[in-house]
Amino acid sequence: MADSTGPLDRLFGAVDRVRGALTVSPRTVRNLKSEYRTSALSKVGVALILVVVFMAVFAPFIAPQNPTTQNLDNGRLPPLGFTQTEQQTQTQMVNGSIQTVNTTETVNATLAHPLGTNSLGQDMLARVIYGARTSLLVGLLGTSLAALLGVSVGLTAGYYRGRVDDTLMRFADVSLAFPSLVLAIALIGVWGRASVSVPDPFVVAGVVDPVRSALGLPTPMPDTFVLPGTVIVVVGLVNWVWFARVARGEALSIREEEFVKAARALGADDARVVLRHVLPNATTPILVLATIQVASIILLESSLSFLGFSGTTLSWGFDIAQGRAYLASAWWIATVPGLAIVLTVVGINLVGDWLRDALDPGIEGEGGM
Amino acid sequence: MSRDPTDAEPAGAPAGSPDDVLRVRNLTTRFFTEEGQVNAVEGVDFDVRDGEVFGIVGESGSGKSVTALSVIDLVESPGRITDGEVWYREPDLAAEFEDDVPAAVDGEFVDVRRLPEGVRRSLRGPSFSMIFQDPMSSLNPSVTVGEQIAEAVEVQRRASANPRRTRSRTQGYGLGRLLVDTLVPGRGYTSEASEARAVELLEQVGIPDPAERADEYPHQFSGGMLQRAMVAQALAGEPDVLIADEPTTALDVTIQAQILNLLRDLQAEQDTSVVMITHDLGVIARMCQRVGVMYAGQVVERGTLADVFDDPVHPYTEGLLGSIPDMDEPASRLEPIEGNVPSLLDSEMGERCYFADRCPKAMEDCLRPIPMYDAEGSDEHETRCVLAVEEYDEAAALPDGYFESEPDSASESGSADDPAAGEEVSTGD
Repeated sequence: MADSTGPLDRLFGAVDRVRGALTVSPRTVRNLKSEYRTSALSKVGVALILVVVFMAVFAPFIAPQNPTTQNLDNGRLPPLGFTQTEQQTQTQMVNGSIQTVNTTETVNATLAHPLGTNSLGQDMLARVIYGARTSLLVGLLGTSLAALLGVSVGLTAGYYRGRVDDTLMRFADVSLAFPSLVLAIALIGVWGRASVSVPDPFVVAGVVDPVRSALGLPTPMPDTFVLPGTVIVVVGLVNWVWFARVARGEALSIREEEFVKAARALGADDARVVLRHVLPNATTPILVLATIQVASIILLESSLSFLGFSGTTLSWGFDIAQGRAYLASAWWIATVPGLAIVLTVVGINLVGDWLRDALDPGIEGEGGM
Repeated sequence: MSRDPTDAEPAGAPAGSPDDVLRVRNLTTRFFTEEGQVNAVEGVDFDVRDGEVFGIVGESGSGKSVTALSVIDLVESPGRITDGEVWYREPDLAAEFEDDVPAAVDGEFVDVRRLPEGVRRSLRGPSFSMIFQDPMSSLNPSVTVGEQIAEAVEVQRRASANPRRTRSRTQGYGLGRLLVDTLVPGRGYTSEASEARAVELLEQVGIPDPAERADEYPHQFSGGMLQRAMVAQALAGEPDVLIADEPTTALDVTIQAQILNLLRDLQAEQDTSVVMITHDLGVIARMCQRVGVMYAGQVVERGTLADVFDDPVHPYTEGLLGSIPDMDEPASRLEPIEGNVPSLLDSEMGERCYFADRCPKAMEDCLRPIPMYDAEGSDEHETRCVLAVEEYDEAAALPDGYFESEPDSASESGSADDPAAGEEVSTGD
C-alpha cells in the first residue's frame, strides 16, 4: 500500500482506509455473519432492501410502462387477479320517457398493467418502481446531511464539553421539541419547493431503448429524474438532532480513553484527535442509527409528498394522496404505494436491528430512535 | 527484586550536579468538582536530570498521575493547574522566547507553563512524552499499530524539519488535510520514511516480524506487545523527558520485567530522562536513581534511592517499605499502613501534616503545616516531617483516636459543614 503504483493498488488502499475508519475488525465481521445466520428476520430485511435498491437503480429497464404516460381510457384498471365492477347510473330517454338505468360494467386486469393503473391510467407498478428512487435518494441524502450536521455538532459538544456542550445541546433540545412534520412544513413554507432535474444516466447513455425494444416493452422512458431538493435539506435539518445526541454520547466516553490522552501527549491537536481517534471509534452506533434514520426519513418524505409539500410527482406519498379519493372504488391506487412504503421501512428496520444486534449489543433496549 | 541502590543503572549526570533538564516548582493542581475543591496536587517540587530515571512513588490517590499530567499539561476540566512552574532546559526554545516572553526564560531554562498553548502542544511528543498504564486502551483500536507509531514519528520529523518559531503552525494537522488524506488514497499524513522508522522502532522494542505486525490492529496484539508498541510510540518523538505512568501495572510479572529492562536499555541508549510513576517499590529500586514519595498530593520525602530506601525519615515512607514482603527475613505478617488516603477535598484538609491521622508517631507538632526539612543522608535527602528535626517524644504524642473524636477539627474553614451529618449526630444522641 505504501508505494502505490497501479490504480488497483490505490483502490485497495482506499478500501483499506475505509475499512480502518469503520472499525470493521474480524470479530465484527464474525458477529455480523453469525447474527445473519441465526436470525431469519435479518435475511428478510436484506432481501427486501435488495429488491428496493434493484428497483431504484434499474427502474428504466424493468418498469413495464413509462410511469408518467397518461391513458385516460385505461384509468383505474385493477391489479392482476382482481376484477373491478363499476356501477354506472345513466338517465336515458327510452320510448319518450325518462328512465334511470343501472349498468354494471366489469373491468378486467390486463398483463400490461400488473398492479393496475391510477385514475389517469398511469401504470402503478412503474410508479412504484420509480418511486423507489425518490424514497431511497431522499432517505440516503437526507440521512447523510443529517449525519454530517449532527455528528459534527455532537462530536464538538462531546469533545469540548462544558459551555460548548451546553450551548449546542440546548439548541438541539429546542429543535427536538418541534414535531418534525410541522417543522418540515414550516421550513418548506419559507423556502419553497425547489427541485432538481437529474438526467437519468441509463437513458442518456442510450442503453435503455434498445433493451426495452428487445424485451418488447414500450418506449421511451423519462430522461430526467426529479429530485426534491428542498425536501432533502429539510429532512436533514429536522433529523440531525438524533445524530448529535448519539455522537455526543460517544465522544464523551471515547475522549476519556487512554489512546486519546496518548495522542494528545504526542502532540496531536483537537481536530486530529476528534477526526482520527474519536470519530472512527464512534462509527458503529452512528451507522446503526443512520440505518434506522433512513427509514424514518423515507416516512417523513412520504408524509410530505402526501400533504403536497414535495417537489416531485413520482413519489409513493404523492400516489397515496392521489388514491385517497378513490379508496372506496379503486383501493389499489393508495394501497400499492402504501405497501411499498411499509415493506421498505420494515426491511430497513430489520437490517438496522441486525446491525445493532451484531455490532453493538449494548444499545439494545435503549429508546434510540 | 534487589533493593540495592548500586544495582540501578549509573546515570549520565552525577548526583547533585546542576544539569537538571526539568525543574518543577510548587506545581498545584485542583479539581473543581460538585462535592467541592479537590487538591490533587499540592505544591509539588522535583527535579529531573539528564539521562536519569526519577521515581515518583505513592499509594493510589496520592496525586502521582495528576502530577504527571500536570507536567505535560494534559489536565482536563474540571481540573486546573492553579499554580506552579515547570522549568525545562532547552536553549533553542529559551533563545526564541527571550524577547517575546522574558518572564518565561531564565538562561537556558524556559517555564513551559508561561508559553502560549500552541507552543506547549508542540513540545508534546518531541520534548515530553508519556506512556500510560493500560496498554489495551492506549492505542486506537481502529488504526494499525504501525500507522500510529509512524504518525508519532512524522510529528517529530516535521517539527525538526522546521525552525522552532514556526513549529506550532506547520506541525498542526488541519481539518482540510485530514479530509483529503482520508478520502484520497495514497496521500497519507505519514511518509514512507516514517513508516520505515515505525517498523524499526517496533523491532527495537523487541516485536518479532515488525514489518508484518506494523500492519496489524491493536486487537491482534497481546498486552505485553501493546505495551512495547506504546513504548515505541512514545520514543518515536525522541523525547527529552519520558513520563511513564505505571507502565507495568497492567502486565503480568514476567512481562513487567521485560518492559522495565526494555525501558532502561532504551533510556540509556537515547539518554532520555524518565519520570517513572509507580506504586511498586520494586520497580523504583530496579530503575531509579532518585525518588520522590508522594502522599495526599505532596512530596513527603525525596532523595537518592539509598536515602529513601535505607534511611527513611517520614513514617509514611517507612510504612510503604514495611508493607512489602522481605524475602530474607520473612515476618509472620506484613505491616500495612492503617487507614486510607484522605479524600483530598479542600474543605476536609486541615492545616496539618496530612499523614498525621494515620501516623504511628503523630505528635502535637504535626498539627501545623510542615515544610520540607533537610534529612540525614545525601545532600538531596529532604522530608516533610518534623522527625527530621526532632526526636519522637511520647509525651507529646497525640492520643489514640484523636482524629476520630474530633472529626470536624480538620474543617476549620467551616465552608462545607455538612448539615446532614450534623443531623445524624443529633439524632444519634
